[in-house]
Amino acid sequence: MKLFIKLLCLCLIINVSALAQKTEGIVSYDRKSYWTKIIARLTFLSQEQKDRAAQTWKNEDEDKEKMKLLFTPTESVYTYLNDQGQTEDGNYSWRNRDLLLYRNYDKERKTEIEEMLGKTYIVDDSLRTPTWRILDQIKEVAGHICMKAETEDPIKKHKVTAWFAQDIPVSAGPERYSGLPGLILELDINGGDVIIEATKVEFKPVAAEIKLPKLKGKKITSADYDKMIQQHIAESITAHRNPYWAIRY
Amino acid sequence: MKNFFCIVLLWTIATLTWAQTPATRVTVQGRVVDTASAPIPFSTVFLLNPKDSSMVSFGRANDNGAFTIRNVKQGTYLFKISSVGFFDHNQQLKTSDKTVEDLGTIKLKPITKELIEVVVKTAKAPLTIRGDTVEYNASSFKVPPGSTVEDLLRKLPGVQVDQDGSIRAQGQEVKKVLVDGKAFFGNDPKMATKNLQAQAITKVQVFNDKTEQAKLTGVEDGKKEKTLNLELKEEYKKGGFGKVTAGAGPASRVDGSDIPMRTEIKGNYNKFDAKQQFSIIGLGNNTNQTGLSWDDYQDFRGSNSFNWNDNADFGFSGSNRFIYFGNDDDETLGIPIGGSQGRGFTNNAAGGLNYNYDTKKTKLSTSYYYSQTQLSLNSQRNRRTLLENGGQFRTEEVTNQFNFSGNHRVSLRFEKQLDSTNTLVVLNNSRLNNGNANLFTRQDLYRNSVDISTRNTTNTGNTLQQFGSATSLIYRHKFKKKGRSFAASGTYQINTNDADRLLNARNEFLQATSANDVLRIINQEQGTVSQRSQYKASLLFVEPFAKKYFWETFYNFNLRYDEVDYDVFNVGDASRTRNDSLSRYYKNNYLFNRIGSSVRYSFKGMNISAGVAGQQFTLDGRFAADQTAATFNRINRSFTNVVPNISLNYDMKNNRYLFAGYDVGVQMPSSRDLQPIIDNSNPLYVREGNPDLLPQLGHNLNGGFSYFNPGSFTNLFFNLYGTYYVNQIVYSQTIDPQTLITTTRPENISGGRNLGSYIGFGFPLKKTKATLNLNTNFNFGRNLTRINDVLNETNNRNYNFRTRLELTPKDWLTFYANADWGIINTRYSLNTSQNQRIYNTNYNGDLNLKFPGDFYLNTSMNYRIFKNERLGFNQQVPIWNASAYKILGKAKKAEIRLTAFDLLNRNVIVSQYAGQNYVQDERTRTLARYFMLSFTYNMRGVQAKMRKNGYF
Repeated sequence: MKLFIKLLCLCLIINVSALAQKTEGIVSYDRKSYWTKIIARLTFLSQEQKDRAAQTWKNEDEDKEKMKLLFTPTESVYTYLNDQGQTEDGNYSWRNRDLLLYRNYDKERKTEIEEMLGKTYIVDDSLRTPTWRILDQIKEVAGHICMKAETEDPIKKHKVTAWFAQDIPVSAGPERYSGLPGLILELDINGGDVIIEATKVEFKPVAAEIKLPKLKGKKITSADYDKMIQQHIAESITAHRNPYWAIRY
Repeated sequence: MKNFFCIVLLWTIATLTWAQTPATRVTVQGRVVDTASAPIPFSTVFLLNPKDSSMVSFGRANDNGAFTIRNVKQGTYLFKISSVGFFDHNQQLKTSDKTVEDLGTIKLKPITKELIEVVVKTAKAPLTIRGDTVEYNASSFKVPPGSTVEDLLRKLPGVQVDQDGSIRAQGQEVKKVLVDGKAFFGNDPKMATKNLQAQAITKVQVFNDKTEQAKLTGVEDGKKEKTLNLELKEEYKKGGFGKVTAGAGPASRVDGSDIPMRTEIKGNYNKFDAKQQFSIIGLGNNTNQTGLSWDDYQDFRGSNSFNWNDNADFGFSGSNRFIYFGNDDDETLGIPIGGSQGRGFTNNAAGGLNYNYDTKKTKLSTSYYYSQTQLSLNSQRNRRTLLENGGQFRTEEVTNQFNFSGNHRVSLRFEKQLDSTNTLVVLNNSRLNNGNANLFTRQDLYRNSVDISTRNTTNTGNTLQQFGSATSLIYRHKFKKKGRSFAASGTYQINTNDADRLLNARNEFLQATSANDVLRIINQEQGTVSQRSQYKASLLFVEPFAKKYFWETFYNFNLRYDEVDYDVFNVGDASRTRNDSLSRYYKNNYLFNRIGSSVRYSFKGMNISAGVAGQQFTLDGRFAADQTAATFNRINRSFTNVVPNISLNYDMKNNRYLFAGYDVGVQMPSSRDLQPIIDNSNPLYVREGNPDLLPQLGHNLNGGFSYFNPGSFTNLFFNLYGTYYVNQIVYSQTIDPQTLITTTRPENISGGRNLGSYIGFGFPLKKTKATLNLNTNFNFGRNLTRINDVLNETNNRNYNFRTRLELTPKDWLTFYANADWGIINTRYSLNTSQNQRIYNTNYNGDLNLKFPGDFYLNTSMNYRIFKNERLGFNQQVPIWNASAYKILGKAKKAEIRLTAFDLLNRNVIVSQYAGQNYVQDERTRTLARYFMLSFTYNMRGVQAKMRKNGYF
């Protein structure tokens, strides 16, 4: 009996450590926006203007940002990989707009700090996961076999495809997407307009690093945030402006 | 109807829920094993909605393969198990009344290693079967690069390709091959499969299609043909688009002169695929559209429209990175853009070809562009010139000119990424210009209001042929250490000019004291042959240190070599004699060397840089009346100085930016200013070059702030800038008191300065409906000139205030209004009684209306007022334009438009200007009222322009 308990304990420890290794860590993502594709979605532009943009900027329509996700089985934080934006050679730097998306999957809570529309907003609300459709395709992302799932952004009306790792049983994911049986390693927003792809997955204890900075900004609810986005998009389209210069795609 | 449907749905749901009331939550459990009954640990189990596969719940098997999903609502689900290396298990699951739904032991079949490679690496099943269509994913079948579709087909299971290229699918011969559902190169199916690249294909579909006969007659003959459809990848899709506009308007008679028929034609066509762009453009008109618009330019040059890193002259990063080498030769090497309304009456024609080839590593762009303009320009000028002794004289001038200019332009750009660290760019831009100009001028000079003191009539005929070409080679190397880089460049520029002028001038000095001095006739032939060569080289090295710092060092070498042979002959009745006082031959070497270094700090949007450069100019020249001259005058000058450079850019929170900088701009004297040649083409205004000129230095200080709120669309911009000149290149004047002939000569004078500011503020009055923009700027300038050896100080104070209202209340109605007020105050130290105050005012309104049936109306009114009270000058120019257009057809690809330009027939180009020692107003006759009916066909569809600017 004692031996059995000992064995059980050993098993548990091994298991827990095995799991701990596989359920906690940092993912680095490349977030690429293809802005001539985004422009092509603007209803107020003529086909001529869209084609002109696509032909003129075909060599430089890719905009790359480096992002990171710190995750544990219960929490995650998604933000910029570096504390400043810079050119590839580091020669010129710029300030990143505030962006930090915190999730607590146990408590089903989220805290989001986002600078947009000329202000920093803080959304502290309950976490709601989208309804995912599970598809049969699989592919490899950053050395992990991923399953495909799809959903739609109800506000921006974007079709979102996620590839989640079957071997990392964590519900976290980049941007505002989560709630799948595995960690999301790739997101494709609206048929390739924006692609967020994991470049590296590192397993290590990060629980201590997941903490919220001092919250400075205007507090709003999730519902108000959605309303604001919806209104901004509607207004921008009416005013013939690209709404996505001022908000995240 | 929608509401009704909702109610029904709600009712159904309510009923169902009620019917299910007794049901409790269920636990689903089971165990996953492989075919050998060994447990499969950690597989994922899903409960999906059977209708759309949306996920309801999920669980995960433990290390024994056992899984449990608790708290599941009663209902029907799609139960799915997924585990790496095994085929998915799918089954329908309908919960019963039991609280635990035990699915027992579920066996998963393993996927073979080969197949998992295919499935996993491509994320695509290699083939799918839908009805009678078999669809193959082309990328799942690897073929070597460069393979044809035929090679790809050989790899597809169930497809055979015979020796002769005929294809059999599922045992039957393939009769038709389609590309994207369309027939390709006629009926021979082999044509497509042998000619298309396998890389271009995303999917291959095999299906049975009706025979052509059945399609044609609509009678089902029961026969089917095996058909192969090749679906092209998005990026391999070829495209073509283009548009053409043609218009004409009737001839008219204005102020007693005949204005011929107005015509306008313009067209372009583009063809492209993933790697290539080909475009052709052509235009012709007599409506004063002299060049391409930015949109036309972009359509023409495609991916090569804008290139950022093509400047071969390295220097301080940030502002005033470069040295300006007086771009004297009027027209640039690049394609002229900005099809603004020309002056006078012009006939324009242009056309060109462009080809771009772009891959990640190699980019090639070539273009040829020809443009020609015929210009007829009649102007009237009134000028008051101030003299050093408080006196003044007045000039009344009439000019008629008729010019022709034709330009061939060729450009080449080649960029090659040799490897991940080395890049090479080769650039060439060349222009060949042929032109001629005939100018008639009559000038009457008055010392008082009545008596003409000097009268001149001049006829000049010019012909010229110019060639200019610039070739640069830029090499960039990135070192392993992040941020360390090296660049080197070399440039060769050549400009040649071969010009001839026939000068025929009659000058009458009516107040001359001696009868011999009354009449002076000039009859000359003036020939110029010149060549300017320039050799440039630059080096740049950037070294990062201490994480946030960069140390940049650069070196520039520049040698300009001018050679001019200017021969003047006096033409008599029977003979030509050489004029040795005007003829010149000269050679000039202008050598410039600069070495500089700066340190830059860059962190989180704060970019500060400070540096210093040392530079040396050496001028070595010689000139004489002719190249055969025994003695030459020599010029030897050298000039060394040290210039600092500071810049700051701060990117702050919420779209606020702060910038400031100090630098020293260096402007080399132009060839024209340097050449020791007397240009008497206007005998009353003689220009002389000055071979002793030094470069002009401008100490520039600037700073500013900008803010934009993307939420409210409010924006604010403020800046302040100032320049202090050292060795400013200024045209000093000597005015002969007797004849009133002015001779100008450039010289270096220090002490000129300029201070200005711009403030702009824009905000919505009502979001999306009304926007108001206000802006103002002022500019205070102090210009120094020597007039008859007396230093004159001209102080300009310019104030501008502008406001713009944009009303966009409805889709069918937009209105734009703006008002500009400008005041120019000019004070002369020479003669304070001649201080001027000039007012320029402009009001503009632009209305767009959309009517049902794709019918549109645009009308605009522009009202310009020019006023100078001292001179009693007051000119008002109202221009009223209108156009009505209709977009035709369902596809909206055509447009018919009726345009009325300047309905009031009042167009005239007016300008007033207060210069260093004169004030001048000018009126130029220009194209006025005309009507035009035009037709446009655009393959991409015509869109009405209801809104101005700001699409993106």
